[in-house]
Amino acid sequence: MIKKQILKLPFIIFIIILSIFFYLLLIDRNPSKIPSALINNYIPDFEANSLFKSEKFYSSDKFGNEITLVNFFATWCKPCRDEHVYLQRFQNEKGLNIVGINYKDNPEKTKQWLQRLGNPYSNIAIDNKGKIAIDWGVYGIPETFVVSSKGIIKFRHVGPINKKIYNEINSLIKKLE
Amino acid sequence: MLPTLGNLALWLSLVFAGLQFYNTRRRKKLLLISISVKGLLISSLLSFFLLMYLYIISDFSVLNVFKNSHTTKPLFYKVTAVWGNHEGSMLLWILVLTIFNYFIFKLYNKKNFIFISKALEIQALISLGFIVFTIFTSNPFERIIPTQVNGLGFNPILQDPALAIHPPLLYIGYVGFSAAFSISIATLVLENGKNFPWYKYMKPFVMVAWTFLTIGIALGSLWAYYELGWGGWWFWDPVENASFMPWLLGTALLHSLIIVEKRQSLQAWVLLLSLLAFLLSVVGTFLVRSGILTSVHTFALDPSRGIYILAFTALLGGYSLILFSSKSKKYFSNNYFTFFSKEGAILINNIFMIIVCATVFLGTIYPLLIEAFTNNKISVGEPYFNSTAIPILIPAIIIMGVGPILSWGKENKSEIIRKVLPGIFLTIIFTIIFFSIYKSFSVIGIVGVVLAFWIISNNIVILYKKKINLNIGMITSHLGVGFLILGITGSSVWQIEKISNMKINSEININKYKVIFDSVNEVKGPNYLALRGNFLVYDKKKNIITTLKPENRFYPITGNFTSEASIHTNFFRDLYIVFGEGSLSEGWTIRIYYNPLVIWIWIGALVIFLGGLISINRNFKKLA
Repeated sequence: MIKKQILKLPFIIFIIILSIFFYLLLIDRNPSKIPSALINNYIPDFEANSLFKSEKFYSSDKFGNEITLVNFFATWCKPCRDEHVYLQRFQNEKGLNIVGINYKDNPEKTKQWLQRLGNPYSNIAIDNKGKIAIDWGVYGIPETFVVSSKGIIKFRHVGPINKKIYNEINSLIKKLE
Repeated sequence: MLPTLGNLALWLSLVFAGLQFYNTRRRKKLLLISISVKGLLISSLLSFFLLMYLYIISDFSVLNVFKNSHTTKPLFYKVTAVWGNHEGSMLLWILVLTIFNYFIFKLYNKKNFIFISKALEIQALISLGFIVFTIFTSNPFERIIPTQVNGLGFNPILQDPALAIHPPLLYIGYVGFSAAFSISIATLVLENGKNFPWYKYMKPFVMVAWTFLTIGIALGSLWAYYELGWGGWWFWDPVENASFMPWLLGTALLHSLIIVEKRQSLQAWVLLLSLLAFLLSVVGTFLVRSGILTSVHTFALDPSRGIYILAFTALLGGYSLILFSSKSKKYFSNNYFTFFSKEGAILINNIFMIIVCATVFLGTIYPLLIEAFTNNKISVGEPYFNSTAIPILIPAIIIMGVGPILSWGKENKSEIIRKVLPGIFLTIIFTIIFFSIYKSFSVIGIVGVVLAFWIISNNIVILYKKKINLNIGMITSHLGVGFLILGITGSSVWQIEKISNMKINSEININKYKVIFDSVNEVKGPNYLALRGNFLVYDKKKNIITTLKPENRFYPITGNFTSEASIHTNFFRDLYIVFGEGSLSEGWTIRIYYNPLVIWIWIGALVIFLGGLISINRNFKKLA
């Protein structure tokens, strides 16, 4: 009798596993949402050259006063162009402080790019070796972080900002305020 | 015109698969079955080669060609681009399936009509599933209007000879298990299956599947090693695991089949294993194609595809496992055997393989389980697999060394000791020689090297004793495993990695070599531009060993950058250089690896493959 039950075991395990797969396929999930070990931690400190300004960019000066969006971008990255409108909306409509990290890019090209598309960033740090990106655990460009007024990372999104993420960030900011 | 013809051929294969299902289920005349089997083979050959031809002539009216090819692409890669994408690879999958189908058909004789018919019926069902999937969710002959002037190109990291032949070999492996699956079902429904030598039919197919899966995985690994530029060759990526798990089950299956053949026991176990091996192969495909797990291998995502494959898997798995639970009783036997015997060793090894497979499976789907239940995302990586799978493999390898020298049936314990001694003796000698050269000690390193020599020594002992009826295939494959372990140990325990920013004329020391960054020049390839660094490698005595020329390639058509590592190989070590980002004024990021014994991984895999081929030949001859 026991043997008979055991024989059913492969079938039962199989069905359980498949049900989980089905469940995951059917729910609305986003594989590009990757948790960061940095969430609820202080930002990794860094210094870098600034794009438009002659003085150096020290992260300790730029964070910790207000809620700040940190956006890793590059001109060679096509999705960055797609999300640019949302960054501008953050700046124009919400008056959000946005720090850009220009990842492995040509400074002259970046300046032209921003002139053409508009510049939503209050400050831009140049990360030509990708060192800042490594410290922040960046997966790919573009990537966006929300940093609280205490300098703590609250949110991270891999990939371009779309409407859904835009709303998500907005509601998060309301909560933080 | 041609794309329409291709599509027609695909639909024809659907019709023939349907006919085969009907004819075999109703046990129609052999002629009718023959027509449907051959029709299926011819129509799938036709659709596959038509797509290949469309790639060769760069017919950009076909969406699939437009998306994955380009006129500037070398001819060889136009051909291999056929399976470098989801839709085309499904055609290849179907083709391999129908070829296996044909080989099963060829096994018909007067005594096995019902059995083979049932196996062909299941094969037809599997073919139907994949053809319907291809036609409705992934049709490679879909047109694009208006016709495009040129294609979008092809993922350049896939433009590589090893990767070009990796999928077909892997598919022979995966699909080969479908034959074992069908034969297992045919056996389960058979009235007097206990007395029918079904295992003789199953074994050659399992041999083929296992052998080609081995070489397929090895080639994928080789590609990852020199193309990804990470200095490693195995990353426990979900897709790697998806091929490794059926391989583990296949290994267990292959060895249990030997016991069934000799002792008629373990039959139910083998029937279950052969079902699971194919189900795991399909689940592997599902994981790759559905995008449910993120991986470097994930093709374009489409949830409807995932749901289809999953539903199909549910059908196959549900049917076969229920059948197993209700029909397998008659295959249980009370033919128990002792621990100290060949069959005892094989059985224990079997259990270890299953445990490793379950461990890898758990690690692979664990992030999914956690997400389903808690909505958190975690990732399971190398540390988990290395600390769980490897310790289980160690006793398995120890037993693998003795298995072949033990006899069938009960073995006298003092006799065992006498048989094992020469192997132990040789292992000690080899190990001492090895470490007197390498002089680098670590516990894991010593364990790995001892295990490798343990396998090698025991096989040398068997060869030396020259028993009649020597199973050359088995000995060859086992020797290959020994080499493989040596390579794995060397490259993972003693690897040295140096990353630095180098300007021209700067130098760096790694192990006993001095590497000097000599110059940089621009190179133009058939469809890429590259920056090539020239690095001179000197040994301690300041003799030049080699010039390494890693490249940083840019493919203008797709806008991708890739890095081509440059590797100098000999039997003792690889020197491996990757040319990173940088500029003339600031220098470049250069990564240099000293990878001991890597070549033995590839030699090992090749030797295992050869052993497999020898055994395939032997097993098919037995059947004929």
